[in-house]
Amino acid sequence: MIKQSDGIGLSAIISPENVVFIPGAPSKEEAVRQLTEKMLPRVDGLIGRKALFDRVAEVEKLNQVLESGFYIPHAKFPELDGFHAVLGIIPEGFTDQATGLKVRALILLLSPHKPAFFQRHLNMLSLLSQTFQPELIDKLAALQDPAAAAALITGK
Amino acid sequence: MVPASKFKQVFVLSTAMLSFISFWKAAAIVLCDFGSSAYYSGGIAMKAYGPAFPWFVLGVMLFAGVMLAVYVESCSMFVRGGVYVVVRHAMGKFLAKIAVSALVFDYVLTGPISAVTAGLYISYLAKSLLEMAGMHFPFSPNMLAVVFGVAVIAYFWKENIKGVKESGDTNVRIVLFVAAIAAVLLVWSFITIYVRGFTLPPFKLEFSPEALGWSKHISWLQPIGMIGIFMAFGHSILALSGLESMAQVYREIEDPKVPNLKRTAIIVFIFSVLFTGVLTFLSSLIIPAELVAGEYSENLLSGLALHLHGPYLARLALQILVVISGGLILMGAVNTSFVGANGILNRVAEDGILHDWFRKLHPKYGTTSRIITMVAALQIVIIILSRGNIFLLGQAYAFGVLWSLVFDTLSLVVLRFKETEMEREFMFPLNISVKRYQVPVGLISVLVVLLITGVLNLITKPIATVAGLVFTAVFFTIFQVSEKMNEKKAQLYKPDEDKDEELNLRREADIHTVVPELTKARRVLVPVRNPNNLHHLAEVLETADDETTDIIVLSAKIAKGIQSGGETMSDEDKEVFSAVVLLAEKYGKTVKPIFVFSNDPFYSMAQVAQAAGVDEIVMGVSGSTGAEVQMERLAMAWGMLKKPDEAAKPVLARVVWEGRQMTYQLS
Repeated sequence: MIKQSDGIGLSAIISPENVVFIPGAPSKEEAVRQLTEKMLPRVDGLIGRKALFDRVAEVEKLNQVLESGFYIPHAKFPELDGFHAVLGIIPEGFTDQATGLKVRALILLLSPHKPAFFQRHLNMLSLLSQTFQPELIDKLAALQDPAAAAALITGK
Repeated sequence: MVPASKFKQVFVLSTAMLSFISFWKAAAIVLCDFGSSAYYSGGIAMKAYGPAFPWFVLGVMLFAGVMLAVYVESCSMFVRGGVYVVVRHAMGKFLAKIAVSALVFDYVLTGPISAVTAGLYISYLAKSLLEMAGMHFPFSPNMLAVVFGVAVIAYFWKENIKGVKESGDTNVRIVLFVAAIAAVLLVWSFITIYVRGFTLPPFKLEFSPEALGWSKHISWLQPIGMIGIFMAFGHSILALSGLESMAQVYREIEDPKVPNLKRTAIIVFIFSVLFTGVLTFLSSLIIPAELVAGEYSENLLSGLALHLHGPYLARLALQILVVISGGLILMGAVNTSFVGANGILNRVAEDGILHDWFRKLHPKYGTTSRIITMVAALQIVIIILSRGNIFLLGQAYAFGVLWSLVFDTLSLVVLRFKETEMEREFMFPLNISVKRYQVPVGLISVLVVLLITGVLNLITKPIATVAGLVFTAVFFTIFQVSEKMNEKKAQLYKPDEDKDEELNLRREADIHTVVPELTKARRVLVPVRNPNNLHHLAEVLETADDETTDIIVLSAKIAKGIQSGGETMSDEDKEVFSAVVLLAEKYGKTVKPIFVFSNDPFYSMAQVAQAAGVDEIVMGVSGSTGAEVQMERLAMAWGMLKKPDEAAKPVLARVVWEGRQMTYQLS
């Protein structure tokens, strides 16, 4: 497992419960929508459904698929005190219209919107993009079990 | 890690190295032009108004200090200055075209007068050596000087066509050698005076009929009193040629620019006073007056060497060294005449007042060969017409020198009233504060001196007046017609794409080939995109230590598709580079501009930063996304490219905008 200097590891945000395999070849928007649905119960009581969907849709316009074919839609909320994430694995994948890149893994990341947390937020983005390299995505796409996927990522 | 070959490559399309020179090198470049007049100004002045010449040559050299201060003020206002830019800002294009025509006349004549003088020094030396060997060939030194001058012009024409640039290091070596010879001459001259004693030259003006020109026919204009002094001053003013070189070299001077420019001016001043002023003076004390006017009028410093106290062979050896030093510095001046004239004409062409025909690049060497050939042809014609007569050339030369100085000084006076808010790190002394104006009493005094001298020169130097006015009129007409043609063209077609300064670009296949060129201990990456948003680059340039820091300026262009190699830079891309170059020139600090094609600017930013091992990344704020999103994208790109087991080198990322900044430690 790769750790950043502030000690935040992926095991803190990725567990079998927040890994979802998405069948078929959904559009990017549909994939993000499915991850947002999955995220909703995790932030229940902190962020309302509309606020969550609206904010994710808003920031989604600014987010870009990485060269590695990994996608990290992310948003910050002042109501949160820690990271929340849902990982989507799409074995068939979809092609991002903006970059032409094939996307087979994406993670919806919610972070606290607090100045003191911004460095950790950036570290997490960096750690995710460092971890989800094409080789790992290939392996994840070959799996079918969220627990196995989480174990592969976190090294447990 | 993302394998680079699998994704769109970052193409390093082009790089351009901007380096800056020390004040020593800058002084050497100026002196190769300015200092060369020591070899001919004394003889020309003697022939014009007699034995008082050393007083006036020394006086002109002291006045050079005043004019250097004038140039320091103009340079502190315009990094890419010079007569044309200063006059255009102060009084508009019309007068700027006249001023630059006079300046081109000055540069064009620098070649012939320098080449012929070098030829004369060599001819007289050859004559002495042949006579010493008992061989008496009836040859004319002037004709030999013509042949030599034409050959020198042809040589530098060829070199400039090939694009051989002036080397600051070569200039330093030449000036050091000349300085060493000058030091020997000075010391030996003082020993000679100590042994023989001396009589100060009379302050008596004895104008030759040629030196009075049309004033002979003006009864009230007698060469006596102050009028006589100004006339004599006008006959010596050609020794000021080369000051414009300081304006041309200013853009290349390293940080801190203005203090280094002042140091340059001080070195040029001291060298000129000692070399041209004092040595000319000493020549008049040591060489018998009749020989100064006769045998040594065209090779005064050779005469000085031969008339020193000591064994003949030692004096002859010194004469040979004087001729070699003269040959080197005078040929340096010939090259400067090509570089200067070409540079000035290219500068005005960028402003649309010279037709594109002149700027057509040489198919093989990429130089503006038509301008260079035109300058060479004019110089050769002038040398042939002069028949090696250095006095004739000197008369004509003074026209361009003097009137370009008049225009420059007048413009500075005008700018004191027109541009009151403009930043001036240096002001010519003697100013009186009146409301928001700094009334330039000192500058106005200098202008009055130059104007009186200029007007008297018009009367006393008929050949210079006619030749100078004809030349100026011809060039002014070329500029006028070119401007009209360019305006017409601009209406018919889209804006000229070739008006920008030629950028020294090269294409590289990979960023890693550029990395070995980064040699300093600390490296800062400054991504740029918008030529109007370079605040962050200015901040870096202001604070970075040029000695220890490589500043890599990265411009990334979005190019779709996975892999290609045929991308070319557009005008907009070049505009960013030009703005970067201008800013680097302003601060006098070295930058390494790199242009890449990528489908993600943050990806290319991270790739270049990691390949170059930078310590800091400084971004300007993006108006469309904002600083936070920029940091997020950089963090993701950074992580994506980071090798898993690589030792973490702390890299500070900053987004800088007016009065604020956001920082992030990349790890």
